Amino acid sequence: MLKPILLVEDNPNDLELTLIALERSQLANEVIVVRDGAEALDYLHARGAYASREQGNPAVVLLDLKLPKVDGLEVLAEIRGSATLKSMPVVMLTSSREEQDLVRSYELGVNAYVVKPVDFSEFVRAIADLGIFWAVLNEPPPGSHRYIKPQ
Amino acid sequence: MPQDSPAIDLTSCDREPIRTPGAVQPHGFLLALDHQLTVLQVSDNLARHTGVTPAQALGEPLATVIGAEAAALLAPQLAAERLREQPAYLTTIRQQGVLFDVLAHAWDGLLIVECEPARGSHGADLLQLSPLLGDFLNKITDADTIDELSRLAAADIRALTGFGRVMVYSFDDAGHGSVLAESLADGYDSYLGQRFPASDIPRQARALYVANRVRLIHDAHYTPAQLLPPQHPLTGQPSDLSFAALRSVSPVHLQYMRNMGTLASMSVSLVVKGKLWGLISCHHAEPRLLSFHQRSVCEQIGQILALHIKNRSDADELAFRLEVRRSMVRILGGLTQGADFIENLRSVLPELLHFARAGGVAIVIGERLITFGDTPSDAQIQALAGWLGAQVHDEVFYSDHLAASYAPAAEYTDCASGVLAMQISRIHPHYLLWFRPEHVVQIDWAGRPDDKPSVNGQLSPRTSFRLWRETVHGTSVPWRDGEVELALEFRTALLGIALERAEQMADLAEELGRANKELEAFSYSVSHDLRAPLRHIVGFADLLLESAGSEQVERRQRFLANIKDAARLAGKLVDDLLSFSQMGRAALRPVRVRMDDLVRSCIDKLAPDLPPQRLHPIDWQVMPLPAVSADPAFLQLALYNLLSNAVKFTANSDPAVIRISSEQLPGETVFHIADNGVGFNMEYAHKLFGVFQRLHRMEDFSGTGIGLANVRRIIERHGGRVWAHSVQGEGATFSFALPNTDLD
Repeated sequence: MLKPILLVEDNPNDLELTLIALERSQLANEVIVVRDGAEALDYLHARGAYASREQGNPAVVLLDLKLPKVDGLEVLAEIRGSATLKSMPVVMLTSSREEQDLVRSYELGVNAYVVKPVDFSEFVRAIADLGIFWAVLNEPPPGSHRYIKPQ
Repeated sequence: MPQDSPAIDLTSCDREPIRTPGAVQPHGFLLALDHQLTVLQVSDNLARHTGVTPAQALGEPLATVIGAEAAALLAPQLAAERLREQPAYLTTIRQQGVLFDVLAHAWDGLLIVECEPARGSHGADLLQLSPLLGDFLNKITDADTIDELSRLAAADIRALTGFGRVMVYSFDDAGHGSVLAESLADGYDSYLGQRFPASDIPRQARALYVANRVRLIHDAHYTPAQLLPPQHPLTGQPSDLSFAALRSVSPVHLQYMRNMGTLASMSVSLVVKGKLWGLISCHHAEPRLLSFHQRSVCEQIGQILALHIKNRSDADELAFRLEVRRSMVRILGGLTQGADFIENLRSVLPELLHFARAGGVAIVIGERLITFGDTPSDAQIQALAGWLGAQVHDEVFYSDHLAASYAPAAEYTDCASGVLAMQISRIHPHYLLWFRPEHVVQIDWAGRPDDKPSVNGQLSPRTSFRLWRETVHGTSVPWRDGEVELALEFRTALLGIALERAEQMADLAEELGRANKELEAFSYSVSHDLRAPLRHIVGFADLLLESAGSEQVERRQRFLANIKDAARLAGKLVDDLLSFSQMGRAALRPVRVRMDDLVRSCIDKLAPDLPPQRLHPIDWQVMPLPAVSADPAFLQLALYNLLSNAVKFTANSDPAVIRISSEQLPGETVFHIADNGVGFNMEYAHKLFGVFQRLHRMEDFSGTGIGLANVRRIIERHGGRVWAHSVQGEGATFSFALPNTDLD
């Protein structure tokens, strides 16, 4: 009955590393992977290829900043502008701690901003912490639909 | 200034009724008739010339006065429509054994007939006078200067009239006359080079001289013949004799003539461009009569002279303006040389002096001051600029007597008696100032201008014509109209240059802004895109170490491959970033480039780079392409990027078609690279040419995301533009336009 984690990542290497890290965190939540900003929005709005997906918002969105087509900041802005998505936790995952991105992200109402550590073991710990905090410890916003895992 | 000095002047002369004296000179007689030729007004000397008294004449037909025969001769010529306001000679009649020339003109509602004693026969007059005029025309054509022209006219008029002194003088702006030329008989004093004060000729006399261009006073001792009735017989107003040849002159003027020792005088007006430019003034010690025809020829000589003066002064003005304009062109040329406007101004300072024939020049740019030549002190110039800013609101201010309007200037009359000041900014009180030094003028007056005693409360003209020398201080050579107009024009050009410069600055700022933005994007990319592969290398290396002992060979090989890819990508990123930054710095060397060849060489270069796993051949369709002017190395890079993109995105098309074509638009040549590949979503077209923007997943289509940013940078540096169009799934067309330049 756990809500899934939505991972938005275009780079195949980053994707593989992040999935390995999530796997090691032993989280029971399903991880849904989308490859660019446009696809992320399709998923969240349950439209296009995701029109028939299960109802409900993910527990957290792990969002890469630099994405083809629609970048992370644009996705974040759209989430915060949408009545049904705006209270959903969003964590920005990025390669660099650029002042402008940091400022812009917090302006748009990001819940956390995490620079991917270069060292892999630290990276694994960071991802695991994130997953545990947002998917387990954090109480989701009221009124959000409970995710029913398909049987 | 001469006009400031006289405490007593003859300004009441300005009120003398010179057009309506109510009297005529007595050597002839005047009859004013209505259209039925009934005599309405006569001069009171009628009986002396005709034997008919005014009482007998008034109210009677013309024939009663001059006899039936003469009246019959005149009647058809006196038809109102034939007469004009200038007197015309009609015929010669005999009265009491004396021959009279009859002149008539229509004016003020009356036919005015004037009879004056004839001198010689009319035919003889003409025979004698015509060759004189022809001669004069011949001589005057060869004359070079206005003085020379004037000398010729004076000599001919003296020969024609027998007057003892004939002078040509011109009026300055203040109305003072200076004698340019004269012709003298023995015993007459010379007035050449002397000045006659403006007050010698009252204002209303000048106006009359413009209308009626010849005036003879035959004897300054004459007693005027009064008009009877004294007023206009129809209106009761004073009778207007503006155009009457016999018009009596002001008693003040007769006194002036007697004081001067002149009993007969004639003035011929020189009217240039509708203004009284000067006079030909003739004097004779004895009474002297001239026939109407002699006067007419003198008038014609005056007209010819005036016409030549006009042409001469036009030509002089033209030559002068041409010279000043040449100077202006040199200055403007100098002003556009370097980048610093003020420095440019400094470099043309000598030419600026020459331009305004000035002794010193100053440029005031707020607190900054640049001076050249002979100028007042910096503080004095700043004070003057302050005064100009506060008091003068015209674009150009000029004075040849600055101290008269700005008292502190009295301290530096030596270098700046005259100033021409030009505001060179529309917003700030910035000035370009020219200074002219004091020009001490010695004026030889024909008598003191203020010597006009008042006798018994009645005006009397001055009594002395002895030379009196006046020295005028504090003034400079006056600024000519042409100089002021050209200064205004110069100002316009200057502001134009300043404006253009401001636009260039704005362009530069924009370019800098763009470069800065690119730089930011660059550093942003370095931190993001270059960090990612490094992190991947470390990550997979860690994973590889962890799995060292495990049996998962396949997994370890994938990690190794990932490390290799990431390292290669990092290398390529560094290369691309370097080339991108070089693109912005290297100078363009545009030459004529044959696009056909360039495209061919790019296609050849692409061939070995094609991935071996490529399934489909490429159908290259290269249309005939025009030559352009561009830097070939840069343009090839752009073209290579576009073509390799087309190759990349048609990897799954069968067959892959890439078509290169061109079209000519006004002022630019456009090239299109169209493919039938996957295309892109037009929604994201605005991101296409940004640094490190990608519209596709890495594993679908590899690349660093810098190619199109390079293309845009190259094309924009050539002054061109790039754009793209696509229908997703059907292909994309990338286009760029290069401006047609002089090299084409």
